Amino acid sequence: MASMSGVGATCKSEATVLTDHFPVGLRVLVVDDDVVCLRIIEQMLRRCKYSVTTCTRATVALNLLRERRETFDIVLSDVHMPDMDGFKLLELVGLEMDLPVIMMSGDGRTNLVMRGVQHGACDYLIKPIRDEELKNIWQHVVRKRYNSNKEHECSGSLDDNDRYKRGSDDVECASSVVEGADGVIKPQKKKREAKEDDTEVENDDPGTTKKPRVVWSVELHQQFVSAVNQLGIDKAVPKRILELMNVPGLTRENVASHLQKFRLYLKRLSGVVQQQGGIPSTFCGPMEQNSELVSLGRFDIQALAASGQIPPETLTALHAELLGRSTSNLVLPAVEQQNLLQASLQQAKCMPVDQLVAYGQPLLKCPPSISNSKHPSQSILSAADVHSGFGSQRAKNICMVPSSNPTGIAAPNSNMFMAMMQHQQQWQKQQQLELRHRQSGPLESNYSINVQPSCVVLPSQSPGNFQVGDSPASMSRANSLSKSSVVDYGVLSPQSNNSSGVIQVLDRELRPECGSNRLSSGGSLSCSCSINADNSVGLQFHNSSSAFGSSKQLPGLNPNHLGSPVPYNINSSQVLDQGHIRNPVVGKGASIPSRFAVDECESAMCNLNTAKSYLEDAKVKQEPNMNLMENC
Amino acid sequence: MNRLLALLFHQGVLDEQFLQLQQLQDESSPNFVSEVVNIYFQESEKLLRNLRSLLMDREFSDYKKMGVHLNQFIGSSSSIGAKRVRNVCVAFRVASEQNNRLGCLRALELLEHEYCYLKNKLHELFQIEQQRLLAAAVRYPVQQH
Repeated sequence: MASMSGVGATCKSEATVLTDHFPVGLRVLVVDDDVVCLRIIEQMLRRCKYSVTTCTRATVALNLLRERRETFDIVLSDVHMPDMDGFKLLELVGLEMDLPVIMMSGDGRTNLVMRGVQHGACDYLIKPIRDEELKNIWQHVVRKRYNSNKEHECSGSLDDNDRYKRGSDDVECASSVVEGADGVIKPQKKKREAKEDDTEVENDDPGTTKKPRVVWSVELHQQFVSAVNQLGIDKAVPKRILELMNVPGLTRENVASHLQKFRLYLKRLSGVVQQQGGIPSTFCGPMEQNSELVSLGRFDIQALAASGQIPPETLTALHAELLGRSTSNLVLPAVEQQNLLQASLQQAKCMPVDQLVAYGQPLLKCPPSISNSKHPSQSILSAADVHSGFGSQRAKNICMVPSSNPTGIAAPNSNMFMAMMQHQQQWQKQQQLELRHRQSGPLESNYSINVQPSCVVLPSQSPGNFQVGDSPASMSRANSLSKSSVVDYGVLSPQSNNSSGVIQVLDRELRPECGSNRLSSGGSLSCSCSINADNSVGLQFHNSSSAFGSSKQLPGLNPNHLGSPVPYNINSSQVLDQGHIRNPVVGKGASIPSRFAVDECESAMCNLNTAKSYLEDAKVKQEPNMNLMENC
Repeated sequence: MNRLLALLFHQGVLDEQFLQLQQLQDESSPNFVSEVVNIYFQESEKLLRNLRSLLMDREFSDYKKMGVHLNQFIGSSSSIGAKRVRNVCVAFRVASEQNNRLGCLRALELLEHEYCYLKNKLHELFQIEQQRLLAAAVRYPVQQH
């Protein structure tokens, strides 16, 4: 370590200042578990006269970066590493220290590369790596600096909320991480530690020694995110965040700087998403919902960004439509992408099974007709926030609230959002809310009922509204089912969804859970179909159809899932990757008694998967489902 | 030595990446090629062992883990320019993704075969090089006189 740091320190001045021989001395950190590649790349970089630090473990690299972020200009990271996925490292680095990261892998398949891009990699090199490629990496360093300067200005002008942004430009050190090798830092101690580090270790770094550094550890970041959540991403100002976080030693500047980075990060992600999804730019406006998402933690950020894209207009449009049709007996909760996103966001810890199962509120109790007639407009948004569950709270995350809820649960949008936010913030809170919901309404869910935030209650007739070819049939089925069995069909709101959001979810490698999360479980009763407007429409319909199918055909997998082509524009490759993950959900749905049709919105994804994997997954996970169902 | 290299290239055992490796060798690291290749041998043997043990588990083969190993193998093989080994790895990976046990077994055998061939040839290459160096060392003093 000492020697490494020494190297970094000596070259620092050359690299940070663009001198005549600029690329010389560029400080590169290479992370690869493959020592052969590592050695070769090291040699190549040395040939380029860069100063190289190598590392075979991602965790070590991360600690190194946190400890002395100032001593590296760029990071080269392998994708497949045993201790930490390269993408995760990429994400953490991108969020915490804003260093350019280049991914490399022997596996150059499009989905992987896409994932790299989406996680913010500035380049993706395919092994064997050639020295010509490495010679040029300095351009990323320059570009990054150039862009970040520009972005700072842009964002400053865009966000008037955040007056502190500009001031924090030079406070970059605030987000840089100074951390002991142990990697676990108590927020309270940070400031002191940082000071010590600065004096002891960072002598070579005069620019940063003056200001105390803050280590944005995972916990601290989560605190930050939940505070932002609480305030709403648009309304979050550093001062308020600081108050909410209540971490001694943290200054407003620290928070301001971090907030700025966080926003940039969200923006960057949303930019990627939009491009992929082909979503009109109008959707960009971040909504309060986003903030909820934020709470998911840094892993979820991408998803958050996507969620932000849900346009308020769409919601209103839905309202109007719903009102017109409100008379119909059946209520279709529309689950917005957000739900999906949220679900996807959830971390691996969450058991897919838990998430998958949606406990619908008592199907029986909610007369659909009532809900519509009474509160047509309100019912549109039934706020069920499955979400809170992120990692820790398991079962409920994904549960869709049956449309029946609307009477009790449906609230004006704003209320809904608020409720949702709260939900996310604390699981317990969520439960309480749920309780309230139940009390207010006739609904009684034995289990925790999660109302998805953006649930739209649509009259059963609504299927007609959706012009998707497949959907009508499926919808009709659903209707029949619902009538007989009190099954509500959650339909994801087509308009609201950004296909991109879905995509992102898919992309995330981390979460097998995603799939599960996304499942809009039609709680016991409701089948949720996710209909994404835009590109993803085709997809969602599939889902819906499949979901219905599953509900009907209890035994076995739904043929639809397997066989149906996936129409959506999302990268198939990505979908494929995660496909297996989601399969379990589908399997569950199939296994579940007809009353409980649990489906994933994402089930469409499953289609891509090979039948084999699908089957296996289903087998594996079926049992848990059954249990859940029983609980219900 | 050049003849041997040409042969290996012709057979597709090696590709130009190996030449890059040779170009990377300089005064600061005079044994770079053999150093890297030796690391490669160690790692590859480890990987081959792991792959075999994964496949030998009759009840349940962890194809995902296999894929991880294979990705690494592909990365390192391509980095030293071991083209044929790499190609077999790619085929192996395809088989493992399809959970094709039989295909995996076949690919593993082929991989081991290719790897042994590569190893022998590279050893041969290094030996020749060594001899040349020795010969040169012997000759130079003579010339100085």
